[in-house]
Amino acid sequence: MLIVKLAFRNILRNRRRSLLTLLSMGGGFFLLCLTLSMTEGSYSNIINIFTQDHTGHVQIHKENYLERPSLYKTINHADEIISQLEQQPLVLGVAPRIYSPSLAYGKNKTFPAQVVGIDPEREAKTTHLENKVNEGQYLTRQLANKTNKDAYFPAMIGFSLAKNLQLTIGDELVLISQGIDGSIANDIFNVVAIVGDAGSYERMNVYISLTAMRTFLSIAGDSSKVHELALILSSQSQARKFAASTQSALKNESLSVDPWQVVESSFYKSMQADKKGSYISMGIIIFIVSIGVLNTILMGTMERTREFGVLKAIGTRPLAVFTLIMLESFVLAIISCLIGLVLALPVCFWLASVGISMPEPIDMGGIIFDTMLGEVSWFVVLLPSVVVISSTLIVSFIPALRAAKISPLKALQAV
Amino acid sequence: MTTQVNITDVAKKATVSQNTVIETTHLCREFGQGDTLVKALTDANITIERGEFTAIIGPSGSGKSTLLQLIGGLDNPSSGDVFLDNKNINHMTGNELSDFRRDHIGFIFQAYNLIPVLSAQENIEYIMLLQGVPATERNKRVDNLMHTLGLEGLGDRRPAELSGGQQQRVAVARAMVSKPSIILADEPTANLDSKTGADLLDMMKELNEKQNMTFVFSTHDPKIMERAKRIISLVDGCIVADERRS
Ligand SMILES: Nc1ncnc2c1ncn2[C@@H]1O[C@H](COP(=O)(O)OP(=O)(O)OP(=O)(O)O)[C@@H](O)[C@H]1O
Ligand SMILES: [Mg+2]
Repeated sequence: MLIVKLAFRNILRNRRRSLLTLLSMGGGFFLLCLTLSMTEGSYSNIINIFTQDHTGHVQIHKENYLERPSLYKTINHADEIISQLEQQPLVLGVAPRIYSPSLAYGKNKTFPAQVVGIDPEREAKTTHLENKVNEGQYLTRQLANKTNKDAYFPAMIGFSLAKNLQLTIGDELVLISQGIDGSIANDIFNVVAIVGDAGSYERMNVYISLTAMRTFLSIAGDSSKVHELALILSSQSQARKFAASTQSALKNESLSVDPWQVVESSFYKSMQADKKGSYISMGIIIFIVSIGVLNTILMGTMERTREFGVLKAIGTRPLAVFTLIMLESFVLAIISCLIGLVLALPVCFWLASVGISMPEPIDMGGIIFDTMLGEVSWFVVLLPSVVVISSTLIVSFIPALRAAKISPLKALQAV
Repeated sequence: MTTQVNITDVAKKATVSQNTVIETTHLCREFGQGDTLVKALTDANITIERGEFTAIIGPSGSGKSTLLQLIGGLDNPSSGDVFLDNKNINHMTGNELSDFRRDHIGFIFQAYNLIPVLSAQENIEYIMLLQGVPATERNKRVDNLMHTLGLEGLGDRRPAELSGGQQQRVAVARAMVSKPSIILADEPTANLDSKTGADLLDMMKELNEKQNMTFVFSTHDPKIMERAKRIISLVDGCIVADERRS
């Protein structure tokens, strides 16, 4: 109690210096908090936009489909798995997909295309595909399953493919691929929509309904086989945990459940590298603030050397002197964090809701980012607190140790 | 080595009278070495009994402060020993020495050296707080001493709000309050005008007589030294005279 009283009195004793220390530490907290809010926020934003584009947060495949895709590596009884997954509150959407690399014929040109069989409604709940229709109409269930008057299935085609094949809405598209039985799959489709743009993921894709796909590949009899299940969760941060729990819940060794970090590992790695860069800039902020704090604490303890001599001469233990200095710093650090928090929180909330719109949108692999959003979370608030408090205690350690160790006589003789 | 030391300690205990507060044996303190060697104190053998009121006098640089610092366990001798309450304080370190100073020695400094952030009353209480003396006992002792030293009504003032004489009286109270075996005062009156200094000395003497408190103080001032009951004279680090006066 005595030490606590002394610590508070000492903080109040040199008000101007304490205030400056508080402001520099509080400012450090403020900057750290904002930097962290922006990095975390931008990354969550990028991850959200990226995963909602087509990947989803978690994907399920047969075995090593991701590394070596094959027509034959199918997830069996997908219907059951889907209804199982859709019951989980965390899951917002499950999109089943069948892939078939094909050749696409337009007016008089041929181009390779990735044909994707989708469940239009589920796909719309899982990714932004529906929003990317820039001409024509998204595949609705009615449209998808009801072939048009010529008995052709409808298809949505990517922007670049449409351009290359010189196709527009209403034109006929011929797809050629290999059926599951080894036969040549060969069908005419009716173009109902053009999706994406020249830079986006689906520029060379063709989207048809699962029914159309199964007919095309001659697997019409088996309505529960797909190549991929893409899941969107209510929070991307749950992806790893959810993937792991689903993997064990499925009780099927031949299926592999992967979070987006694995599915899009190169994207994930480049983001991690970027994050390191921002940690370095935070390290620099910490360093500068710490030097300032070290300076004030060193000055404060140096000019009180005599006083420490008196305290020790009349019987204060070295540890108590050490504790006194550490406590003063600790109290200053806590108050700084509170000041920083009061300043930072409104700004963080503003950043999280409004954000900073970028002068020029950034195009990352066809995905457009036009606003930098902040984030408000325990992490964004607690990490700066831990950093400010621990760095203050670290820089106080040396002056405190010095005061604890100096002989009372030497300290008394100090001017 | 240690056993030898312990045997001397035990032997000392047996021979030294129950009333001896301090005994120094062949106490020497040197500073520097070679050409710059300064013998600040040479072969000092002093015994101080409970209830004595002793002045250490001598010209500047004669070793008065050095002697008091050695007795108070603030400095270590180059050779020789200091026994305080029959304990060899030169063998104590860290917390042991801290606690020993807290419980057995009261210090009064020339520059008052009160804790600036504590009020007069809190300064006086400080050591008792370290010792864990209960509040009622603390208040009783503080009130008594403030009364004796004429500090009534000044308890809430910070040191900066007190005159030099008042500050030094607070310092005397702080040194007295935990009932130490001895109070060491290095030129307690040097920063005070002669009247205030003389008054302070009279108060110390009163405490010495009424409460049998042992004082050792150093001084240059003839007016101060004449109040002492015993005067130890130092010249160039050597004790040249040690006289008791009735
Ligand atoms: N830390 C030190 N380093 C070197 N020499 C010292 C040190 N402390 C004291 N001395 C020397 O020891 C001698 C005795 O000093 P001391 O301070 O004990 O004298 P003093 O009698 O108290 O003098 P004064 O009346 O001026 O206070 C002096 O010659 C002094 O220069
Ligand atoms: Mg001196």
